[in-house]
Amino acid sequence: MRTVLIGLLLAFASSVAWAQGNYEIQVYGADTVAPGNTMVELHSNFTVDGQRVYVQGAAPTYHAEHETVEITQGINDWSEVGFYIFTSEQSRLGVQWVGDHIRPRVRVPESWRWPVGVSLSMEVGYQRPLFSPDTWTWEIRPIVDKTTGRWYFAVNPALERTWHGPDVNLGIGFSPAAKISYDFTKKITGGFEYYADYGSITNIASLHNQQQQLFPAIDLNVSPDWEINFGVGVGPTAATDHWIVKGIIGRRFDWGRKKKSQ
Amino acid sequence: MGRPSLADAGAPDYRIEIAETEWELGPKKKVRTAVYSGKIPGQLIRLTEGKPVTIEIVNRLDRAEIVHWHGQWIPVDVDGSMEEGSPMIAAGTSARITFTPRPSGLHWYHTHAMADRNLKHGLYTGQSGLLLVEAKENPGRYDREGFVVLHDWLPYYSASDDGSMMVKYNTASVNGRILGQGDPIRVREGERALFHILNASATEIHWLTLPGHAFEVQALDGRPVATRTKVEALRLGPAERVSALVTMSAPGVWVFGEAREDFRRAGMGTVIEYAGQSGKPQASSPAKLEWDYRAFGEGVPASSKPDVTIPMVFTSRFQGHGALDKWMINDKSYPETSLPSLQSGLRHRLVFDNHSTDDHPVHIHRHAFELISIHGMATRGVYKDVVVVEAGTRVEADLVANNPGNTLFHCHQQDHMDSGFMALFRYAS
Repeated sequence: MRTVLIGLLLAFASSVAWAQGNYEIQVYGADTVAPGNTMVELHSNFTVDGQRVYVQGAAPTYHAEHETVEITQGINDWSEVGFYIFTSEQSRLGVQWVGDHIRPRVRVPESWRWPVGVSLSMEVGYQRPLFSPDTWTWEIRPIVDKTTGRWYFAVNPALERTWHGPDVNLGIGFSPAAKISYDFTKKITGGFEYYADYGSITNIASLHNQQQQLFPAIDLNVSPDWEINFGVGVGPTAATDHWIVKGIIGRRFDWGRKKKSQ
Repeated sequence: MGRPSLADAGAPDYRIEIAETEWELGPKKKVRTAVYSGKIPGQLIRLTEGKPVTIEIVNRLDRAEIVHWHGQWIPVDVDGSMEEGSPMIAAGTSARITFTPRPSGLHWYHTHAMADRNLKHGLYTGQSGLLLVEAKENPGRYDREGFVVLHDWLPYYSASDDGSMMVKYNTASVNGRILGQGDPIRVREGERALFHILNASATEIHWLTLPGHAFEVQALDGRPVATRTKVEALRLGPAERVSALVTMSAPGVWVFGEAREDFRRAGMGTVIEYAGQSGKPQASSPAKLEWDYRAFGEGVPASSKPDVTIPMVFTSRFQGHGALDKWMINDKSYPETSLPSLQSGLRHRLVFDNHSTDDHPVHIHRHAFELISIHGMATRGVYKDVVVVEAGTRVEADLVANNPGNTLFHCHQQDHMDSGFMALFRYAS
């Protein structure tokens, strides 16, 4: 059984290990950071039960604590640029720098009055081979969301491409994410977040070999300047880390440029 | 004064035709909206205080409409509020109303139809116009009059900082044109210009400035003020009016418009051009925007004691990040709201306690109230029919019950009144 599992991991690890990565587990909304504002987020993800062995030279995720700093600068009413610093901490490796990504994003301005929010992000970056066999990757992520009454829906049908690493020849991978949530109160929103990696878009992997994760998650809307998200993820397929606890805490800095409001 | 009818004999003094039109705010800025008599704003209606007027209203829309005579102390059947009992004008029909205008001053007429969540109805449309009721004797201590109507256009729902939905706009106009379009207001050095200004926005509070000039406020909501204070900027909540005298003493070409740059960029401004001057209109924003109704009062606390005190607490109930809040007066939303009956001839002290995080321009129909205190600081001699009660503050205002009949009280923000922020005062029999 152990041999089979390792074999499966070897077959898919490079495409799935980074795709979800357990570094930044978030379904994007279409909204962008306000012009001149800066959003600083800390993503803290702990893999309770995950990959226990080295796969293609990449370190295990089991009991790894991943801390990611995300800094996003609002450019104008329809664009922002995000920058990521990924780190990992685990008993055998200590604290390690994993890599960096940059993510420009544009959106359909609210003033166009579309019935849904629409945005498109592009993420490019490097990660050390110790943590991902694919060292240079590129992702394009369409984002569609809708808030209606107390309900919120978002889908991110992301496409990925490896520029350097074993998966260069894999083509384009399909890694969708989605979220549905409900406002229980003004401050407490609860729902489910879904993350997946289906492998190559032209050669979808079997369910057994796909990454599938479901996070019951809570958002706390304590202040317009703070973002707080917490969730516990379950990965039922063999290729998925089985238990992950994730948290996001973010702080918006307006530098004296408050969003226009009443 | 009289009841509306469809077939009164004789030609009316004024005729208002409600119909949709495509209005050009500026190049490549067109809006398709309902307007009065084909114009934005609707025609200026000038009446004489105490002289009866007959107005015919033709509704060419495919929905019922109603025209409210904002600021007028007239009977319920012609006031133009279905909540009070005025009849709606059915789609494709017309009505005639006759009333005796009072009081004098700058007022306006506008749709009083609910928009609900439809941003193409109600005050989001161009259904508004100025109503200037002249006193029988007008001293006329000015050289020219100017009329300025503010409006916001192309509304959409957006998340607000406090987590609830709010209405935002793409475009704004003065007198139906975005800044830089339409004819400038041409003046001469030394002239005294009396500007009559109305904020006809469905939801936005606006600040107005004219760089290098001061506004000597003559009247608020059509009622002369006790003290004609000069200010650098005017603040107008939705439905508020200001009549202000400006001495033209700074030759140049200026933007008379919103004090805040983002609103000016959206189009809220017009150009003041001195004779013999040319060049790019100059705009600026005051370092600080301040407004205090008490500046126009007598500065002496009210001596009159109220006969009745009516507390009115404004709160909201969250309905979801993708919904408008539900608004309440004393914990109830219209039509469940309930207020004590007014006693004819008595002075009622209305105590507005705004426990919400929004400012509310609250309006009383068919009456005016005298401001008694703002944030706990006393005043007197400022009469209004709309007062902005800022978030988290208290305003006291005295209403003398002198115009029997149902009397509507509501927040003049269209989205708030559509979400329950209304209540009906009844007179005790």
